Amino acid sequence: MTQFLASGSGMDGIKHIINVLCEPHWFLILSCVALAVFMVGYRTFTKPPIAAALAGVSTLFFIASCLDPNFFSIVSKGDNVPIVMMMVTLAFVLWIAFRQAAINDERMEKGEPLLEAGADDKVLVWPDLVYIELICLVLLTAFLVVWAIFLRAPLEQPADPNVAPNPAKAPWYFLGLQEMLVYFDPWLAGVVLPGLIVVGLIAVPYLDKNPRGNGYYTFKQRPFAIGTFMFGFGILWIVLIIFGTFLRGPNWNFFGPYEFWDHNKPAALLNVEFHDLFWIQMLGRPLPTEDVAFIPAYIIREIAGIAVLGVYFIAGPIILRAVFFRKLYVQMGFIRFSVMAMLFLVMMLMPIKMALRWTLNLHYIVGITEWFLNV
Amino acid sequence: MASKEIISKVWIEDGCIVCDACETAAPDVFEVLEETCIIRPAALDVEFCKPRSTEIVDAAEECPVDVIKFESTTVEVSDAEAAAVPADAPASDAAPAAPVVAPAKAAPAEAAPPAAASVHASTAGAPDPAIAALLKAATTRGGHAGMLKNADGGMASSGSTRGDARNLPPEARQAKVQAAAKKASADADAGRRAFASSGALMVGWGAFSAGAGLAVGPAFTRFMMPNVMEEPDPRIRIGKLQKYSEMEPGGVNEDYKPQGIWMIRLEDRIAALNIICTHLGCIPNWLVNERKYKCPCHGSGYYQNGVNFEGPTPRPLERFKIYVEDGIVVVDKSKKYNYELGQWDQPSSFLLV
Repeated sequence: MTQFLASGSGMDGIKHIINVLCEPHWFLILSCVALAVFMVGYRTFTKPPIAAALAGVSTLFFIASCLDPNFFSIVSKGDNVPIVMMMVTLAFVLWIAFRQAAINDERMEKGEPLLEAGADDKVLVWPDLVYIELICLVLLTAFLVVWAIFLRAPLEQPADPNVAPNPAKAPWYFLGLQEMLVYFDPWLAGVVLPGLIVVGLIAVPYLDKNPRGNGYYTFKQRPFAIGTFMFGFGILWIVLIIFGTFLRGPNWNFFGPYEFWDHNKPAALLNVEFHDLFWIQMLGRPLPTEDVAFIPAYIIREIAGIAVLGVYFIAGPIILRAVFFRKLYVQMGFIRFSVMAMLFLVMMLMPIKMALRWTLNLHYIVGITEWFLNV
Repeated sequence: MASKEIISKVWIEDGCIVCDACETAAPDVFEVLEETCIIRPAALDVEFCKPRSTEIVDAAEECPVDVIKFESTTVEVSDAEAAAVPADAPASDAAPAAPVVAPAKAAPAEAAPPAAASVHASTAGAPDPAIAALLKAATTRGGHAGMLKNADGGMASSGSTRGDARNLPPEARQAKVQAAAKKASADADAGRRAFASSGALMVGWGAFSAGAGLAVGPAFTRFMMPNVMEEPDPRIRIGKLQKYSEMEPGGVNEDYKPQGIWMIRLEDRIAALNIICTHLGCIPNWLVNERKYKCPCHGSGYYQNGVNFEGPTPRPLERFKIYVEDGIVVVDKSKKYNYELGQWDQPSSFLLV
């Protein structure tokens, strides 16, 4: 940073600060802080003038950033344009939802009827729906034609089983999953965790029987439910897609948005194993290689990691219940709360492991390669 | 003299489930159509029914939904006379013996008219009791759906509806019902049509089976063949030993990367590395300056000797079997050696130089 500040102009200094802030751990922390601030001050931030000002500032920032050749080359890549659009649409949709929630919450406090009160949602298929569909169809077709003309499909060289493009990226909607694969064993990150996402979403109506918020927008009545969803979707899905799209460069290294994609960027990523930390650094002994009774050596080797995970998943729900969710536990009952707590802890394992990898280069907490169990 | 039950009238009420039981019991009297069951036109004649009384009673008993109703008279006849009861017997005997309605479920409204109708039949000579009963059944909804449908179809042009039949003069009603009955007898053709359609069904299934056989047959034949993988020879000749022994220790030869091999020179030996990343099967790149293999998919990194040290991969790259034949180095890709299993010490996994 000092090097940059010394050699470049003020603009370079700003770019460099942003590059540093886009290092994954800072980016994740800042996204969480931004989400938290937004949810705390949602009534202020969603006011039309303030929201418009925020949108304007973001747009200006984006346009100014496009003057940087590195930023522009990433953003304007055929694959990445839809993701820019996704960020804009996502912000818009969030604004609509939270704006209505803010209005409703305010009205509830004053005892006024809700936005949805007395609304007759019934519309006729013909002409109400069909007209809208027709208009959408025409507009979208025109849009796709224009898009196809001006943005070339990113076709590459013929497939060669012995050459992988560098970086090799999944389709944009799978980039979150590809990012997960960096931190867990493939069958966990590629099968179990995505499966748990689906199972967890299916389970939500059975876990959450709270009728508040059904049929009307509110945030004040459901801060935990909406906050958890916003974290799981906004941070662990969207932010990971942004990581994969804009920040992951050659050799799957992290690059700042204004950084040149240098194929030879030095990256010190020497893995640290948890069992090394425990046996060699803490206890000062070599890794165990002898079986004890019927317990194989690799289980003893990983005993510390297994203990950590065991504490996380066994003590976790108890602590959650005792400290944070006393009222929720009474509402949900034992079984519902246990399932919810397990799903919640699995979800939180994701950012915890990511942070450990980024900061400590921790390879795996439990690394039983013999069983393909690498968490 | 023996007591004998004589059927004077038989009709069918709503609710036939087309089960064929009645036609099996009394094939001359009942005919099961596609949607309902009817009394055969011939059986509308009282004289026709009399000798088949037993069959009709059996059919009524066998009917699972009890829709077959009949009116019977118990008469004292000699066995010889039983076969030749005069035509007027039901009508005349009805007075002393009183009509027995069996099964008892028959509605009173329906039970009452037949007596009158039969009197009317014998006196006026117009519709006989069977026709009258049929008429009644025909004008109630659903009783003879198949017939009524046809009858209505014919009458549709004159704007007549089912209920209007009641309002017609008796002659017209009789004509209408007889036309319907005629039409129903034409349904005897249905059997032939059913046979034809079952023939089409057989042809269809035959074609399907033949097609399936054609598709499965070759696959089955292939399955019975010896189980050989048609792959290129896994043994790859990669040139003279000298070419590799002259490499600097720490060097990597990428000449045979298209064949899936990195030749590496270690301190005292050469070995053949599998280029496939042990994380998820991408192809890493050899970065000369950083002295590492780096996977572009998830960032796994390996030292020059194939041992993993960064990124998510849990284990080192695999090594192939390697040997010298006639001064030429041969790599056998069918045999792999894994570090985590301690196989890199096996003599066939390297060549000492």
